[in-house]
Amino acid sequence: MTDLPSHLSEEVHLAFPPRDALAIEARKLDFFYGKTQALYGVDLPVERNKITALIGPSGCGKSTLLRALNRIYDLYPKQHAVGRILLDGHDVLADRRSLQRLRDRDGGGDDTAMIRSPVDVAGLRARVGMVFQKPTPFPMSIYDNVAFGVRLYQRKSRAEMDQIVEKSLRRAALWDEVKDKLHSSGLGLSGGQQQRLCVARGIAVEPDVLLLDEPASALDPVSTAKLEETLIELRQDFTIVIVTHNLQQAARISNYTGFMYLGRMMEFQPTEELFANPRGQRTRDYVTGRFG
Amino acid sequence: MDRALVRRLSNIAFVILTAIATLIALTALVLTLWSLLSRGIGGLDTKIFTMTQPAPGSEGGLSNAIMGSLIMCGIGLAIAVVVGVLAGTWLSEYGGNTRYGQVVRFLNDVLLSAPSILIGLFVYEILVRPFHGFSAWAGGVALAILAMPIVTRTTEDILSLQPSALREAGMALGASRAFVIRKIVWKSARAGLVTGALLGFARISGETAPLLFTALGNQFFSTELTQPMASLPTTIFQFALSAYEDWQRLAWVGALLIAAAVLSINIIGRIVAREARRS
Amino acid sequence: MASAAPPDTARFGTSGSAGETLFHAACFGAATLLLVTLGGVVVSLAIGGWPAIEHFGFGFLTSSEWNPVTEVYGAAGPVVGTLATALLALVMALPLAIGVAVFLVEFCPRPVAQPVAIAVELLAGIPSIVYGMWGLFVLAPWFAEHVQLPLMMEAEPGSWQEKLFSGIPNGANIFTASVILAIMILPYMAAVFRELFMTVPAQLREAAYGLGCTPFEVIRAVVIPYVRRGMVGVIMLGLGRALGETMAVTFIIGNAHGFPDSVFASGSTIASTIANEFAEATSDMHSAALVALGLVLFLITFGVLAIARALLGSQRH
Repeated sequence: MTDLPSHLSEEVHLAFPPRDALAIEARKLDFFYGKTQALYGVDLPVERNKITALIGPSGCGKSTLLRALNRIYDLYPKQHAVGRILLDGHDVLADRRSLQRLRDRDGGGDDTAMIRSPVDVAGLRARVGMVFQKPTPFPMSIYDNVAFGVRLYQRKSRAEMDQIVEKSLRRAALWDEVKDKLHSSGLGLSGGQQQRLCVARGIAVEPDVLLLDEPASALDPVSTAKLEETLIELRQDFTIVIVTHNLQQAARISNYTGFMYLGRMMEFQPTEELFANPRGQRTRDYVTGRFG
Repeated sequence: MDRALVRRLSNIAFVILTAIATLIALTALVLTLWSLLSRGIGGLDTKIFTMTQPAPGSEGGLSNAIMGSLIMCGIGLAIAVVVGVLAGTWLSEYGGNTRYGQVVRFLNDVLLSAPSILIGLFVYEILVRPFHGFSAWAGGVALAILAMPIVTRTTEDILSLQPSALREAGMALGASRAFVIRKIVWKSARAGLVTGALLGFARISGETAPLLFTALGNQFFSTELTQPMASLPTTIFQFALSAYEDWQRLAWVGALLIAAAVLSINIIGRIVAREARRS
Repeated sequence: MASAAPPDTARFGTSGSAGETLFHAACFGAATLLLVTLGGVVVSLAIGGWPAIEHFGFGFLTSSEWNPVTEVYGAAGPVVGTLATALLALVMALPLAIGVAVFLVEFCPRPVAQPVAIAVELLAGIPSIVYGMWGLFVLAPWFAEHVQLPLMMEAEPGSWQEKLFSGIPNGANIFTASVILAIMILPYMAAVFRELFMTVPAQLREAAYGLGCTPFEVIRAVVIPYVRRGMVGVIMLGLGRALGETMAVTFIIGNAHGFPDSVFASGSTIASTIANEFAEATSDMHSAALVALGLVLFLITFGVLAIARALLGSQRH
C-alpha cells in the first residue's frame, strides 16, 4: 500500500460507528484498473439501516469503491481489488487469487476469520443490490423487470409474485404511476420513473445492502426529489450506500458521509458533523465549494 | 434439485455448448483453408504468372485469367468509386434525411446483398444481348454494380462520422458547400474512403457468377475490352468441373491466389481504417 | 503579404454558383443511379422472362419438368431446391453462429477473443467459389464414402430410411450443398451477431449481473431480448445470402432437374441452374425461362432482404 503524501495524512479524520452495527465494511481496500491504482487503503464502515453517502471530486474513487462492494468489477478482467470486504463477518474478496494478493501485500496474519471456499459472487450480488447512474430497465415489461431478480432465486406462485411486485413498486413510490400498465414495456417510462423501477427491481430480492451510483445525476429536480423521498423511506428496511456529487443531496438524506480524495477516505463522520464542522482542510474546502 | 445448483449447472452447460460451437465452426473453416493451402501451394510457380492457360495435358499457367481479373476489377472499381463516393456523399451531406434519401438508402442496402448472378443477368440484358457479344466491358460493369453499394455505404458512414464543426468552420469562411465537401470533408475522411474502395475491391475480385455470361471467359491472353475476357474465378469454375487432373490442380492454385488476394486486401483495408481512427 | 487582396470568392465557389449546382447534381445523379440500377434489374428480368411467363403461366411455378429438348420448363424443382438448401443451411449455421458470437463476446479470454473475432470476419470475406471447390473435392467424396454408402447399405428395403437416403452416392446432393452453404454463411452471421451483441450497453449487463445473474441468465434474459429485432434481421440476411449464392452450390448440388425426392438426392437451385445453362441456352424460350427463374429468385430474396433491413433499421451492417 502506498503511503499518503505527508501533507494529506494529517487531514484524515475517521469517526466509525461501532463494529457490530455494520452491515458491510471495507477494510484497507486497494483497487487497480490494470496497473493504475485507484483506491489506496480505503476503510468504509456502513451501518445497518442507515444511509451512507460518498462524496468527493470527480475521479476520487467513490464509484470505484461502490463497484468493489458487490464485485461488479469482476466483469472486467483487468480490474482487481486487494483488501477485505466484510459482509456479516465473511470476506467477500476471499477467493484464492485475492487472498494471495492480500498475503503479498500484508505478509499474512490477520485477525479476521474468513471463508476460504470460492465466494458465490451471484449470491453476493443478490444480497448487495445496485442501481446505476443511468436508468437500466431491461427490455421487458414493468412487471417482469421487478420479478426478474426474484425469479432467479425462488419459484413463486403467480399470486405471491404479484404481491412482491406490488410491494416493491410501492416501496419505490412508483406503484400509483404504473399500476395500470404493469405489462407494458419498462422502456416507455420517463427517466425518473425508470430509475425508480430499477430501485424497485433492486429491492424486490430483499438485499441487505443497496448501492446507488449517482442515481439522480440523469434526472430532473422533481424526479430527484421523489427519488430522495423514496430512499429515506427505504432506510427503515435496507442499508443504503449512495455515491453523489450533489452535496445538498448527501446532506439531505444521509446519516453518514465519507469524503474521498485521490483514492483515499479523507474524512468519515456523521453527516451533520461533517457538513457543520469538517475537520480536515480539504473537506472544508470541498463542502464549502472552494474546489471540486 | 437445489435452485442455485440448477442455475450454476445450466450456466456451465451453456458455456460449454458455446465453446463447442466455436470449436466446430473454427474446425470447419480451418479444414477449408487447409485443403486450399495444401492443394494449391504445390502448383504455385512462376509459370502460373507467365503462361496462359493450357490445353489439357500440356504445360501452362493462369496469366490470361489473372490479367483479365485485374482489368475487369479495375474497370469495376473505377466506376464503383465514382458512383459510390458521389452517392454516399449525397446521402450524408445533402438528401439523406429526405423521404427519397431513405428510399435510396434502403434499396442500396438491398442491392448490397442481392444475388450476384442476377446482376450478371441484368448486365447480359443491357450490354451483351443488344451489342451481340460478351465483352470485358460488360464484365467490368457487372462488377461495378456489385461494388457500388459497398462504396456508397462506407462513404456515407465515414462522412457522417466527420464532425459537423468541420463543415461549419468551412462554411463560416464563406466557402460553398460543394467546396467544403470536396476540400475539407473528403480530405479528412480520406482513409475511410480508401477503406471503402478496398472492401469493394475485395468483394468483386472473387465474384464468379456475374462474369459467367458477361465476360464469358477466354482461353487466350487478351486485353481487348470489346472481346470476351478470361478471369480467375470463371477459369477456376471451368477447370474445377473438368475431368482433367492438371486442370483441377490449376483450379486449386487459382483459388489459393484469389483467397490470398482477398484476404490481403481486407487486411490492408483494416489497417488503413485503424490508422484513420488513430489520426 | 504586402497588401490584402479582395477575397477570391471564385476560388471557393459561392453558394448557388455553377460549380455548386453541378456538384450537387452529380451527387444526386449517383444516388439516383443506384435506384435506377435496382429498378433496371427488376424490369430487365421481367422483360427477359416475359415470354416464358406468358407461355407457361402459373404452371411455371408448379411444374417440375425442365426439358430443353421438348422446350417445357417448370421452375418447381429449382425453387424447392433453393428454399430447401437455404433453410437447411440456416438451421445448421444459426446455432453455431450464435454460439460463436456469444462465446467470443462473453466467455472467451480477451487475448484470444480478439484474434479469433478478426479471423472470423476475414473468413466471411473468402469468395464462395473457394468453399464450393472444397465441397466438390473434399466434402463430397468423404460424404459419399463415409455417410451416404453406409446409410444406404443399412436401410431396410422399402423403409422410410431407404426413401430418405436414396440417391446416387457421389456426395453431390441437397444435403452436402446445404453443409457448404452453412459453412459459408457461418462466419458472416457470427461476425454480425458479435457486433450486434456488443451494442448491448455495458450498464444493462452490469445491472443484470448486479442482481446476481449467471452469464447464461444475462444473455437469455437481457442480451438476447435487447437485440431480438436485430437478430431476426441477421437471420434474414444470412438466409438472403444462402438463397442467392451461386458458386458454392453449383459445384456440389448435382445439378439434376426435377423435384428432389430426398435430402440425399441431387437437385438444383435457381442460381445453379442459371449459372449452368444460361451461357449455353440456344433457344429463346430456354433463355426466357432462365431469366424468369431469375425473376423468381429476385422476388424471394428481395422480400427476405427487405424484411432484414427493415428489422435492422438504423443498425447497419
